[in-house]
Amino acid sequence: MHEVAVAQQMLEVIRRTLEGRPPVRVRVARLVLGQLTCVDPETLSFAFEVACRGTAAEGCRLEVERVPLRVRCTACGAEEERGDPMAPCERCGDRRGEVVAGRELQLTTLDVEEHGP
Amino acid sequence: MTEVIRIQEGVLADNDRAAEDLRLRFRESGTCVVNLMSGPGAGKTTLLERTAEALQGRLRLGVAVGDIQTSRDADRIARHGVPVVQINTGDACHLDARMVTPAADHLLPLGLDLLIVENVGNLVCPAEFEIGEDAKVVMLSVTEGADKPAKYPLMFHVSRLMLVSKVDLLPHVDFSMEAAIADARALNPDLQVIALSARTGEGLDPWIDWLLGLRDKARGR
Repeated sequence: MHEVAVAQQMLEVIRRTLEGRPPVRVRVARLVLGQLTCVDPETLSFAFEVACRGTAAEGCRLEVERVPLRVRCTACGAEEERGDPMAPCERCGDRRGEVVAGRELQLTTLDVEEHGP
Repeated sequence: MTEVIRIQEGVLADNDRAAEDLRLRFRESGTCVVNLMSGPGAGKTTLLERTAEALQGRLRLGVAVGDIQTSRDADRIARHGVPVVQINTGDACHLDARMVTPAADHLLPLGLDLLIVENVGNLVCPAEFEIGEDAKVVMLSVTEGADKPAKYPLMFHVSRLMLVSKVDLLPHVDFSMEAAIADARALNPDLQVIALSARTGEGLDPWIDWLLGLRDKARGR
């Protein structure tokens, strides 16, 4: 349950990103979230909504893009998506692999609108 | 009018920077740091008590203990003559670099060879947060069940060593060592494994040797 800590850090990243710009309202925040990352998207969305209250991002929409786990097989070198992290390699059946993708936790873009007087 | 702004830094960039600061300080003071993680009740504190006894006179050990509440774990370890700092995390389920920094402020001036940070009992959240450590160690007790590596893959993916604890209880529980190790190595083929019992002392020597080896490697860095 560290989604609250993650949400607060997201808001901090947004605050720094907007620093020195004319006042804006954030309408959409986009986040990429790897399958292996231990963050529950629904809990995070709620925690983020609460964290945003009273800030330029209040009421913004959080769009979460899930990145599937990709593994390179240690035995045969085949690279594939693994819905189940424990599933064996489809080509050779070995289960050991290096994680190529799936650890992401990154805000990518913000849609902002000018915040008129 | 809508403008799209690109963001360049990761969500946990603040923690990564604080962890990097800690890493430099640990290196400068010649202190090797282990981040010890497990679910609640796996036996981290008991193992640290045995570890403190075994390392007495061999190297200078310090311990930082993370807990949401109480200083019970710290009190237990302090009885073995080891400098201990309790980190109460308040409501946080993990330690991050910012929380470890005051403990480092207190312990590093003592000139430690090895600092073991006992993380909050939790197999999920601590895996995400770097604290400037040389190695992450995950502990899994045989009473928790062999399915934990499959259920919490990130924790076993990020760790360098898995300690399987309470092996004196193996005759009484259905725990498949082979399954636990195979699952833990699925996303971490180089994971090292030591089976031990803090109660009987089985496996303690390999653990102590592993710590000494890590310390020697940290010295050479």
